[in-house]
Amino acid sequence: MKGFDHGNRGVGVRDHQLILPSVVCSTRVSSRIAKEMSAVTFAHQHGCGFIGNDVGRITDYFAALANHPNVSSTLIVGLGCETLQGNELADKLLSKNASTNYLVTQESGGVEGTVNLGISAAEELRTKYPSPEVALARLHLGIDISNESTKIEELVVALTEVGVDIAVAAVHKNSGLNFSDLMEAGVHVILSFPDENQPASGFPLIPTINVASNSPLHLALTNDFDLTSTATTTEIIEKIYEVVNGRLTKVEEIGAGEIIAAREVRSV
Amino acid sequence: MSSASNSLKGFARSDGRWGLRNHVLILPLHSALCATARKIADESNGAVAVSHDWSGEADADFERIIKTISGFAANPNNFATIFITIGTPNELMIIELAKKLGLNKYEVLNVAQLGSMGKIADVGLTLANSLVKEAAAVDRVSAPWSAIALGQECGGSDALSGITANPALGVASDRLVELGSASVLGETTEILGAEHLLAARAITPEIGAQIVEAVARYERSINYEGIDMRGAQPSRGNIEGGLTTLEEKSLGAAKKAGSAQFSGVLDYADQVPKSGLYFMDTPGHDIEQLTGFAAAGINIVVFTTGRGTPTGSAIVPTIKVATNTTMALAIPDLIDLNAGTIADGLKTLDEVGGELFDLILEVANGKETRAEAGLHHEFSLSRMYNTVIR
Repeated sequence: MKGFDHGNRGVGVRDHQLILPSVVCSTRVSSRIAKEMSAVTFAHQHGCGFIGNDVGRITDYFAALANHPNVSSTLIVGLGCETLQGNELADKLLSKNASTNYLVTQESGGVEGTVNLGISAAEELRTKYPSPEVALARLHLGIDISNESTKIEELVVALTEVGVDIAVAAVHKNSGLNFSDLMEAGVHVILSFPDENQPASGFPLIPTINVASNSPLHLALTNDFDLTSTATTTEIIEKIYEVVNGRLTKVEEIGAGEIIAAREVRSV
Repeated sequence: MSSASNSLKGFARSDGRWGLRNHVLILPLHSALCATARKIADESNGAVAVSHDWSGEADADFERIIKTISGFAANPNNFATIFITIGTPNELMIIELAKKLGLNKYEVLNVAQLGSMGKIADVGLTLANSLVKEAAAVDRVSAPWSAIALGQECGGSDALSGITANPALGVASDRLVELGSASVLGETTEILGAEHLLAARAITPEIGAQIVEAVARYERSINYEGIDMRGAQPSRGNIEGGLTTLEEKSLGAAKKAGSAQFSGVLDYADQVPKSGLYFMDTPGHDIEQLTGFAAAGINIVVFTTGRGTPTGSAIVPTIKVATNTTMALAIPDLIDLNAGTIADGLKTLDEVGGELFDLILEVANGKETRAEAGLHHEFSLSRMYNTVIR
């Protein structure tokens, strides 16, 4: 199995630079930097106007994203006046991974200033922290079981026999929330069995292999799934290895993948 | 005071409302379809899209969410809405609700019928470009003052907010209300401690009581979580900006509403009546509020800011007013008008209020705001309940 050496983050199966907006107000600036750098970013609605346990919850969530093994380096883009302060998040991350930097729009001359500084900062991170190709010793696979009728015992036995570590997320019927749990567990690849009434979906940093059920929706959307409901254990394992070694999943080809982060308390 | 005559021009909608923009909106009704919606908008000749994290779940926030999404689609600034769906009954419910709220032209692209997200992207792009062309051929026509539904917002407040930008917005809002426009104060969080002053300005004691109750209900919902709101506000950014207490912040925030009487209290994303000053119960979270305003049919927003913020809505022009000159000069590409000139002693409150009134009229007539030029299209769904388990 091929991988990328991402220092303290571990060996990843993808080589993604993450432009992390630490607040919803920075998502546009982040997407402009990411587009220029072919890096990964995503839209979200967090980072401000939240209280109680959610502050720690979302901060930890963003820290887990930034420290994920598929990430080569992280540039945090904050606004300045928000609850979740980008510099504090950066300090927390820097203690683990030197390939982290942050920018604050209110201190960087506005949108254009932040985009320009952000591109330079992202380029510098790439130069300073290359990601040499190495062998991946052990694959950490996440399995999302949002479809209750999924039977995966045989698959788990077969995967364990070939030395794959497995994390299973089955708490939610919402794949997006299960993906978040699996991301925090640091899995390299996700194998998703979505609910029969849900489409194929994915997570931004983690290749997500979607396995269809034989529901009418999934049959209609066969082209969006990587595997059909008739896929055998052997075929599923073959697909996992192909994806580990660089083949894009259907969701990666589309460029889809949202983060869904849970909250305990309403916004203030 | 400015001497602008009524030179307002807008897009007349069939339900009697007015658009100040003529957008083609790509609206995904499921989180997994957002990337496809963004792709269509990015590749199109000017269509816009929003992203969100709702995956169709019918949880405790369901009603609030479908109200928000359907109202957003029905905003009069949309010439057309392309819904991207997987074809569930809940999605149909959103479209039906949007129709009741005055949805203009619309199309539905169903991924289950078209067979894949790739096909949606192809068909959606052709459709979006043809609608954009159609929208561009529509001319603005003379509009009454009631065509304007103004939203008042503040974010990143500082010690000057209550002295410069907020009262300047109050001057402009009073003038619009007098002429027959609608104007809406939101952010329940930010009137906490000033609710009695606003209640005293209600046209009836019942409406005054509703303002007080909206704040009490809000405080109860937060206290229920075991959190003292009065300890969490003002925010750290506000304190760095020189604000000392929640009351100081609230008294300043309330100045956005000028001195007109309140004609009513609206729940989050309730449709705004044609004329008069209203209070809407919204979170202080800038984007949840902006989204709720858009869902309520508000077609232009003035956003005062002490620290500076780039955010905007995909469909509602958002005018940024700086409270202080230092920030306005330091991050000029976020700011449409500097009200710091009041504190600098260069201009009077009435002068800046008049400038803002004129700018609202110019933007209503098509002048692009900084946030529009920068394509800042943030969107957030406001939820009341825990989403850890769903």
